[in-house]
Amino acid sequence: MHDEAHQQILLLLIIVFPLGGAMVNGLVGRYMPKSLVTLVGVGSVAVSLGLAVTTFIELYALSGHDLEHPALTYQFYEWFSLGLPGGKVVAINVRFLMDSLSGVMTLVVTGVGGLIHLYSVGYMGEDEGYPRFMSFLNLFMASMLILVLGSSLPVMFVGWEGVGLCSYLLIGFWYENRVYAAAGRKAFVVNRIGDFGVLVGMFILVGVAGSFEFVEINAAATNGQFRADFPFGIFGVMPSLATVACVFLFLGCTGKSAQIPLYVWLPDAMAGPTPVSALIHAATMVTAGVYLCCRLSPLFITSDVAMAIIAVTGTLTALLAASIAVVQREMKKILAYSTVSQLGFMFAAVGVGFFAAGFFHVFTHAFFKACLFLGAGSVMHAVHAHGDADIFKLGGLKKMLPITRWTFLASCLAIAGFPLTSGFFSKDEILLGAAAQIYRPDDSLQHAVGWFTLIGLTLAAVMTAFYMFRLYFLTFTGEYRSADQSGDHPYDAHPHESPPSMTIPLVVLGIGALFAGFLGLPHVLPITGTHLDEWSWWGHWMHSSVAGRPVPEEMHIVNLASGLAFGAMAIGISAAWMLYRNKSRDALAEKMPKRLFELAFDKWRIDELYGVTIVNPIKQVATVVGRADMTFVDALMTKLPSFNVREAGRIFARLQSGVVQMYGAVMIVGVVAVLAFFWAPHSHIEVTFEGNNVDLTTPLGLGYEYRWDANSDGEFETTWAEAPETSFAYQKADVRGVAVFIMNARSGVERRVDVGEDWVRLPIEAVAPAATLRRDDVGFEVRLDGEDLVFRRPDPPTLLAGSKELRLPLGKDGRLGPARVIARPVVEATVEVRNAFGNQRRATKEITLPFWIEEPPSHAVLTPRSHEVVR
Amino acid sequence: MISPGTILFVTTAIFAMVGGLITVSARRPLRAAIGLLVHIVSLAGMFLTLDAQLLAALQLLVYAGAVVVLFVFVIMLIGPASEVGAIQGRLASRALSLAVTIAIVLAVSTSLANFDRPWGAVSEDFGTVEGLGMAIYSEALVPFEVISITLLVAIVGAVAIARSRTE
Amino acid sequence: MGVGTYLALASVLFGIGAAGFLTRRNMLIQLMSIELMLNSVNVVLLAFNRVNPANHDGQVFAFFVIAVAAAEAAVGLAILIAYYRVKKTIDTDDASLLKY
Repeated sequence: MHDEAHQQILLLLIIVFPLGGAMVNGLVGRYMPKSLVTLVGVGSVAVSLGLAVTTFIELYALSGHDLEHPALTYQFYEWFSLGLPGGKVVAINVRFLMDSLSGVMTLVVTGVGGLIHLYSVGYMGEDEGYPRFMSFLNLFMASMLILVLGSSLPVMFVGWEGVGLCSYLLIGFWYENRVYAAAGRKAFVVNRIGDFGVLVGMFILVGVAGSFEFVEINAAATNGQFRADFPFGIFGVMPSLATVACVFLFLGCTGKSAQIPLYVWLPDAMAGPTPVSALIHAATMVTAGVYLCCRLSPLFITSDVAMAIIAVTGTLTALLAASIAVVQREMKKILAYSTVSQLGFMFAAVGVGFFAAGFFHVFTHAFFKACLFLGAGSVMHAVHAHGDADIFKLGGLKKMLPITRWTFLASCLAIAGFPLTSGFFSKDEILLGAAAQIYRPDDSLQHAVGWFTLIGLTLAAVMTAFYMFRLYFLTFTGEYRSADQSGDHPYDAHPHESPPSMTIPLVVLGIGALFAGFLGLPHVLPITGTHLDEWSWWGHWMHSSVAGRPVPEEMHIVNLASGLAFGAMAIGISAAWMLYRNKSRDALAEKMPKRLFELAFDKWRIDELYGVTIVNPIKQVATVVGRADMTFVDALMTKLPSFNVREAGRIFARLQSGVVQMYGAVMIVGVVAVLAFFWAPHSHIEVTFEGNNVDLTTPLGLGYEYRWDANSDGEFETTWAEAPETSFAYQKADVRGVAVFIMNARSGVERRVDVGEDWVRLPIEAVAPAATLRRDDVGFEVRLDGEDLVFRRPDPPTLLAGSKELRLPLGKDGRLGPARVIARPVVEATVEVRNAFGNQRRATKEITLPFWIEEPPSHAVLTPRSHEVVR
Repeated sequence: MISPGTILFVTTAIFAMVGGLITVSARRPLRAAIGLLVHIVSLAGMFLTLDAQLLAALQLLVYAGAVVVLFVFVIMLIGPASEVGAIQGRLASRALSLAVTIAIVLAVSTSLANFDRPWGAVSEDFGTVEGLGMAIYSEALVPFEVISITLLVAIVGAVAIARSRTE
Repeated sequence: MGVGTYLALASVLFGIGAAGFLTRRNMLIQLMSIELMLNSVNVVLLAFNRVNPANHDGQVFAFFVIAVAAAEAAVGLAILIAYYRVKKTIDTDDASLLKY
């Protein structure tokens, strides 16, 4: 499958330019003039965009060649390799891949990112941290591009972590404010929880597929390698490998893409500057989760359970977030919850098998949500609001901020799903996917999920249209409520339109919000239209890299979906029109039951729930552990040693009595000791074995002379010489004793017994493991009889065991039950040492040779010794 | 065979030891000084058995004639305070030092006693004024000059330290 | 009388001097003990020189030992006098200012 890929080094450069820009601005940005910072920051992204377009064109050309998976790749280098159990070695390469999926995503990231960089020039230009901001933005671009262009899970994970890091850096950009800094930390920590899921999923995948590369994992999934059961089950149910892996990966997606349960960081993330919200928390980073699911779509499709979980979670998230957004007062907060809700839509699409549709929503959402955020930023910039803007203090801005107003309206129409806007096409397809599942009655799970998703998403769509237009009407229609200003930060009484660096991106994005959807327009266009994936440009394009469930052909399903989408939009917009157009009060809040309103306004108190159930217990454990550390570890590691040293010092200080005589006495004793050391020579023998030769050495001394008697027979083989070593070949006649070694291979116990003419008991544990012996078993005895060893059992445990004697000739190894028996000779060596003063010392050593002495064949042996008979 | 050298050696050895013992055990410092004198004179005699005539003379001149006299002068200068009194306090450490010293001495002396080297043959002027004088002035000339400076320094130093400071 | 006898005697004299130095409280007696030790060393030097009388090295050395011992006695006694002036005693048990 790799022969369809073509090497393209530009893929690497797409990443390198923003990375380089980040480093330049980060390291030396504050010494550069602002225009240079802008040039580096925006320019690097512009170059990256140009390269992305170039490579995309090449990819497009490639796709016309009828290949199954057209792609451009570039291998940078091999990072490291991993050995799997079973012997397989997996090489992890830093390698980039641009196929249809990542190609589009790269364009979105660099395009929308570039526009937002341009916007930041105007928005953040006056901030004193401007170079730092540009540096972080560039770093984020580079990380996101690594994430998107990575061809394997580890490389993607590098980007995944990188964007998490940049998210933290940028949310807490104004770090002197504790609240903002806390929001940054919250984002990072919650993300980390998700990252654990990605890692576990990654490991399961490599264990089954033997590779981290997406291409190979997807191929393995298509081949059915993931259908086997996971080794552990829950409640007696054994999930498949695919299910488990997908669930863990989805956990990571909930963290990165703000789904239940890990969405809580996204609303707080509005603490960051508005361009950050637009880029990271609307267009790119939060969609990384959807991207991951689409990347591994062949894998996800094989697990119905995982898909059901994803669909349900997405739908619930969409509903939950929409319900909160309906009652909020601040612009960015509403948009944040809107993002969470729309992400829920995307995951719901993934869950019902319409991966391409979900990704299409990513594409369109990037345009209109970025436009909405930048528009909100424009409004805040105009009224000089800090942090966020309360819509109940705004109103009538359509006269003062015309460009902002029209682009904002365009994006609101898109997100509500007004016909022919981009959101219309993408939302329609998602509902179509849900509807299609209803018509699969043979699969009860899919059927139920389909109903749930369809109804849930429709409700969410109603709320979406409602709260977005509530936001629009309260901000732009009616009269400017400048007379109501009170409190710390009154808004500017005369807001004016933003500079072109801010309005140009707004216009570009607004146009995209309106017209980008036509990419999803089906080729065949009867009046009611069909949304077959293969037959729209988008579906056709995505088909080569993203899998999916089949698109229904029946018109009644299509009509159902379209009707629901249209109805939802109509109801929502008209409700908002009636309640909020040209109004200034929150009519809904007044009509709702008070308790319900407060609960919804407080985000259903989910954060507080987490605080009580998770955060506080952890804090308490930390406190306890901290105290234990102070009491025990500190005392043990610091107070105890310091006490020891201090007291020992106190004792030794008594030596300093101040009396000279004591010092003199100590000196004398010391001097005499040193002299004594030199007076008498000392020695010991060390033995090394070289084959059958034995080398004896003794430590060297100044002026020493040595004399060796290697077999301790009283005759010295060498005379006084300065050689501290000698070697000797022992004869049979030198043997003074026999040592028997008993080794039990099973228990590893080895014992030595010196045998003589009398019976010696063998240590029983060396013969057999203690557990196998009877308590009254005393084991064996052995003695030396001439040239043989004789073994016998003195008290046989049973009468049947007999009292046989075993004879083993010396020099042969034998077996005694499970133990090995080896006999070795024992000899003795002597050395005499003399120093310059004439003092002499003798040292002896008993040596057990590690081999048996062979009788030299027929030679007459030297002098007969002791009682041994010489043969 | 008992030779005059032997008798001289034994006599001087005994007196040396006795003198030393008096020195270290006398309560009154003047008695100790006398003991030292006896010790030195007997050592001078012993030097004669070792054919070191000049040194024997120098021993008497310098040690007995100057050092002991110096000691006596100081005793006189200090007066009654020079007698410190019986040994008291730190008995354990004193006893220990004594015991260790005795042990070391016994060990060393017994092993040294067996040291066996024959006496060398001496020439006529070994140890005489000419012989030793020639050796000092030819081989050890520089140390000789240095030692004279050392003595000068010692004199000056002693005077400087022991001067009474009239404020 | 072999060399060994001289050496043994010298070690005994040295021991007497050392014992005196380590035991006595009287600073004067201590200084005298030092003289005893120096003398014993002289005996050893002369004895060995007598064993090898080819040159006068031992006697020359002993010569210098005597000279140095004299100088040292002078200076030591001067210090003693200065100390006495301050402390009004020559009891070394009181001289423990260096005590920890």
